[in-house]
Amino acid sequence: MAYVLIVDDDEDFAAAAAKALAIAGHEVRVELDTASATKSMDARRPDLIILDVMFPENASAGFELARFIKHEKPGLKDVPILMLTAVNVKFPLGFGTGDADDVWMPVSDFIEKPVDLNVLQKRVAALLRAAAK
Amino acid sequence: MAANNESSAAVYELPLPAGPPAAAGEADGHARLPETLLLKNVLWFCHLRWAVVAILGTFGLLGLFPQVLAHVGLRPTADWPLVAAGILVAGNLAFSGHARLLKESGVPRYAHINLWGQIVFDLVVLTGVVHYAGSLETNITFAYLFHIVLACIFLSGTESLAVTLIACVLYMAVLAAEDAGLVAPQTLFAGAPPRLPIAAEPWIPIWNLALALFIWLAVWYLTSHLAAMVRARDEELGETNRRLEAALEERSRHMLRTTHELKAPFAAIHATTQLLLDGQCGPLPDEARAFVQRISTRCRRLANEIQEMVQLANLRSESQGTLPHAALDVAEILRGCIGQVKPLAEERKVIIEADLAQARTVGVEEHLKMLFANLLGNAVGYSYEGGRVRVRCRPGEGGGPEVVIEDHGIGIPADKLPRVFDEYYRTDEAVRHNKQSSGLGLAIVRHVAEEHGIRIRVESCPGAGTTFHLRLAVEREPSEPDSENKENHDGLRADCR
Repeated sequence: MAYVLIVDDDEDFAAAAAKALAIAGHEVRVELDTASATKSMDARRPDLIILDVMFPENASAGFELARFIKHEKPGLKDVPILMLTAVNVKFPLGFGTGDADDVWMPVSDFIEKPVDLNVLQKRVAALLRAAAK
Repeated sequence: MAANNESSAAVYELPLPAGPPAAAGEADGHARLPETLLLKNVLWFCHLRWAVVAILGTFGLLGLFPQVLAHVGLRPTADWPLVAAGILVAGNLAFSGHARLLKESGVPRYAHINLWGQIVFDLVVLTGVVHYAGSLETNITFAYLFHIVLACIFLSGTESLAVTLIACVLYMAVLAAEDAGLVAPQTLFAGAPPRLPIAAEPWIPIWNLALALFIWLAVWYLTSHLAAMVRARDEELGETNRRLEAALEERSRHMLRTTHELKAPFAAIHATTQLLLDGQCGPLPDEARAFVQRISTRCRRLANEIQEMVQLANLRSESQGTLPHAALDVAEILRGCIGQVKPLAEERKVIIEADLAQARTVGVEEHLKMLFANLLGNAVGYSYEGGRVRVRCRPGEGGGPEVVIEDHGIGIPADKLPRVFDEYYRTDEAVRHNKQSSGLGLAIVRHVAEEHGIRIRVESCPGAGTTFHLRLAVEREPSEPDSENKENHDGLRADCR
């Protein structure tokens, strides 16, 4: 069982994803904004972070949080980040798996919304396995 | 709404947007050029001075052969051309050295001072040359006009007027000095009569001087006025360009935000219906399950349609010239797009086999991503469960990338192939097989292909699958589009094998 932190301003989606991951046997916490997510991570280190990109406070707050975790938080540097977003590679300024890098998009994996919950469970399991090695 | 508090009330005033930048026609053009541009002109000015040095040097060397000069009616020049050339060489080395230092430092804020220094230096040297060449006997005074014109182009109207007045003062000073006997009048011409004192015949030198000053001031007025007009137009164009770039950026951001706001609720509905359908909130009666399934399907399709409608609208409103073209590796783009459709492939149990070799082209990266993501999404979406999609990328015979995307899915009937790139067109077979599609994917592909001059050939057989062959432009500078592809701008072909 792993401790998974979901950071997404869409409460409905976060609740459904949390339920699916809880059924898969994980302990899940949901944070609806990046500031409270940072506090939550400081209080308890998650095994995996599921992170949305766009938040009401900032259209790229998810990227900024991912960079903050990887570049400014040595204790959380190795926590895998699974990025979720409703925009994708098909758009100008959009992005996809191929765009992940240590500087701009330091995430372990990327899923486009709407996401199949089975796919989400599988990706989470795969990332946790890879992190455990 | 303000919150009242006994000690102090929090106040917020909605800030008004900043005033619009100078509208067309408002730019006055009286400012001088920006320092970076001035620095280029400073260096150019220095290069130009070497030509003057060469002319004076040649003339000075000719002075070593007085008989040659006498043959063409000129007096021996003594040493003044060589001395003037020497002074110009020393000044030019100093000014060009300073300009290079400014260029290397990346902070060209003293370019203006350098330019002023050069102009004053030149005017002083020119006044010496005017004296020796003949301040009244020759037309060399027109040489002051070079500096007046250049000052009008490089500097503001007031500064160029100052240069004009300095030229006037220097010229009058040399005439006065010659007339007062401080320096003896000189002339190039061997046959020129000796100059009379101004007092002996005052009107000729006075009219000559007045005429010269009038011509200089007229040239200053006309040139500075024209330069101001050109500069104002330049400022307007620059401002328009900045606004267009800002609008383009803003529209892309707005589109991202709009798409996110429209799609995110569907993602939440979709996830919730999935929980219900998977029985993770308890078993559902069959009828309820069927309705939840309908909600889920329509929800996903609507999310997809919203995305593609916004995307297509954006493509339609863009012109190719405004977009940033870059050198791109098509294989790298395909890898990203394959990752993008992977979840859908996993869901439909479709295997994607990729054979990608580096092949470079020039284009708008985001648009090529759209094109390939749509073609790959279709290949997966119209494959049978457990099917295979093959993606190949190679540099073609002409050097441009050739991409093949092949599926073994439902295929397209021959009579319907020519319409598959139409907006909202879907074959009956496609509607039955894949309810998620909006019918806009290949319309997006067509827009991007037309924009980039990409030739697309489609081969398809119902029940056996569809293959898209794409030939992209060879990697060249964006300003030189592939001529063959340019000629075949409508190069979409649909074949049935």
